[in-house]
Amino acid sequence: MTAAIRRLRWAIPYLFLVPGGLWLLIFFVVPMAVMASISLQTGSLGTGYALTWNFGIYPEAISQFATQFLRSFEYGIIVTVLTLLIGYPMAYTIAFRGGRVKNILLLLVILPFFTSFIIRTLAWKLILADQGFLLGTLKAWGLLPDGFGLIATPISVISGLVYNFLPFMVLPLYVALEKIDHRLVEAANDLYASRFQAFLRVTLPLSMPGVFAGSLLTFIPSVGDFVNATILGSRETTMIGNVIQSRFLDFNDYPRASALGFVLMAAILVMVLVYARLVGSDELTSG
Amino acid sequence: MTERRDETRIEQAIARLVAEGQISRRSFLRRASRGGLVLGSALSLPAILAACGIKPLSSSTPIAGPSGSTGGAPTPIPKAAGLLDWANWPAYIDIDEKGKYPTIQKFEKATGIKVSYTEAINDNEEFFGKIQPDLEAGNTTAYDLIVMTDWMIQKMIRFGYLERIDKSQVPNFAANADSLYVNPWYDPNNMYSLAWQSGITGIGYNPKLTKREITTFDDLLDPAFKGHVGLFSEMRDTMCMALLSIDVKPEEATVADVQKAGDKLLKAAKTGQFRSFYGNDYYDELANKNLWITIAWSGDVTQMQLYDNPDVKFVIPQSGGMRWVDNMAIPNKAAHPVDAHMMMNFWYDPANAVPLSEYIGYFSPVKGVPDMISKDADAAEAKGDKTTAAQLRVVAKTVNPTPDQLTHVFNYKRLTETEELAWNSVFEQVRTG
Repeated sequence: MTAAIRRLRWAIPYLFLVPGGLWLLIFFVVPMAVMASISLQTGSLGTGYALTWNFGIYPEAISQFATQFLRSFEYGIIVTVLTLLIGYPMAYTIAFRGGRVKNILLLLVILPFFTSFIIRTLAWKLILADQGFLLGTLKAWGLLPDGFGLIATPISVISGLVYNFLPFMVLPLYVALEKIDHRLVEAANDLYASRFQAFLRVTLPLSMPGVFAGSLLTFIPSVGDFVNATILGSRETTMIGNVIQSRFLDFNDYPRASALGFVLMAAILVMVLVYARLVGSDELTSG
Repeated sequence: MTERRDETRIEQAIARLVAEGQISRRSFLRRASRGGLVLGSALSLPAILAACGIKPLSSSTPIAGPSGSTGGAPTPIPKAAGLLDWANWPAYIDIDEKGKYPTIQKFEKATGIKVSYTEAINDNEEFFGKIQPDLEAGNTTAYDLIVMTDWMIQKMIRFGYLERIDKSQVPNFAANADSLYVNPWYDPNNMYSLAWQSGITGIGYNPKLTKREITTFDDLLDPAFKGHVGLFSEMRDTMCMALLSIDVKPEEATVADVQKAGDKLLKAAKTGQFRSFYGNDYYDELANKNLWITIAWSGDVTQMQLYDNPDVKFVIPQSGGMRWVDNMAIPNKAAHPVDAHMMMNFWYDPANAVPLSEYIGYFSPVKGVPDMISKDADAAEAKGDKTTAAQLRVVAKTVNPTPDQLTHVFNYKRLTETEELAWNSVFEQVRTG
């Protein structure tokens, strides 16, 4: 009996993987396979779709929507850089200067999640409305010209994305910074490093796993996002997520929508791998 | 068109069977729907024939389910389930100050049916896209009653996605429907749909912002309004209005015409003329002054004038507007079809149609509604409530189309699938570049 159990011990870690593995199989692998098959079908809603191994749809979809692809990656990079610039000082302050209110500050970072993503984005539409309380007031004071508007510009879409994904940057950064042994910074100071040098040579490198994780958590969802561009954007800010959504829902063009989804995924994967090479993903595992 | 011939065949089969007393109409409906579910993706023809007890000529698909066997067994009269899931458009029902729906509450009280009312529809195509996979797979869509525009009803009939309406369960329709809404072009004999409300697609604008009156479609392209112009995300309304502006009747438009109209919009779109492409959400944008001028639906503007922004005006451009009818319909495999029929019947009772129209101000498909609204206005005035009386008099004028509104408006074209794809690809150029 015990011998049998002992012999099966090697399997125990794998058994722990079963629930997660099944979840991934059912909700990731299977849908991916279905999507792959749909992307290679041709037909229409009326005649039905049939698998014709139409690989030509991939280059066709890429060239047709190259503008939207490029725009999405451009926005994604801008959003990641901005959230990093805004999020790093925030996380730094909470981790090192938070003191007794640290937990409250963290709660404040998470607080927006208590309302729905859509509601929060719609709120921005009201805040930035042409005659809303922000621009309306500034216009009434004569600080802005009458025709000035932020909604339906790239500025409002990027602002919305930065706002919505900021917590995804702050939290991993906080975790990474919080772990840093402050005595290392003191040691650097003892060795005549200025505070800035100590930050640059000690704190920043040690927080890189947080920077890496935070960048991925903001970059990936913001590239694929369609909510912000729908609510805050215009024709000129159409992102690839909008194209996929309208291909699926408005045009019932399932093959092209699936193909675009795959291309997006592949492109993100490539960019992440390049980024991992540059930043060094081994810090993720060693940290 | 083959579907049309099929339809006739079906009708004949039904007529014959009902005449021979083999099957009651109700049991037919129930069986037809079950057969339809089992076959799922097939056009409803074989399913319906199967329900009639007719073997489809070439179909090798076995007819499963309990429907196949019993020939003329009497089916009990279907009972209401006590629940109704209804998807409608925003701003399309009467609401009181507390955010409750008084007329729906009246229905709930009278029938004991609990209504789950959601404003889930913002755009015909988008909503269709959401429920289409379920309908195609033969699953329930979570809705018992949906409200879709005429051309979409036609499309859904084409795909066999709607349940037949049992007219014996909606006696008020025959009694009270205005003749304009009986036997419409998109659904002969109202087999699958009953009008909910109707209206006109024209132009809504705020003269305080445009600083001039609007008369033509080309005013939407005036560079002075750059960035404050709205178009619809639905291809049909936007493209048909543009077609009218180049003197093409939508019903007669060729793909070349559509391309020409599309180019006209595209040229303006490239300069950033259009703020965005909207579903029903254009309403808020126009009310809160983000949009100065936009394609709009008549009744929305009436409501906006009454409740949200008194400045806004509606105009049918000189080139013409689009006439549309939104319809109540029951998607396939609805869980509570009897309740849905009761709801349809309820709205064709003038006592319920009047408070609805008084609030939303679209064209009512129920006879005599304007007169009854005028009577309510008189009653309000007698009570000394001058504001309400004045509001009601405005509404009374808008709930029936004027002769002028009927001559200046056009119907959608019945698009074949190939045409629809071509029109869509032109429109997509305009919409996303």
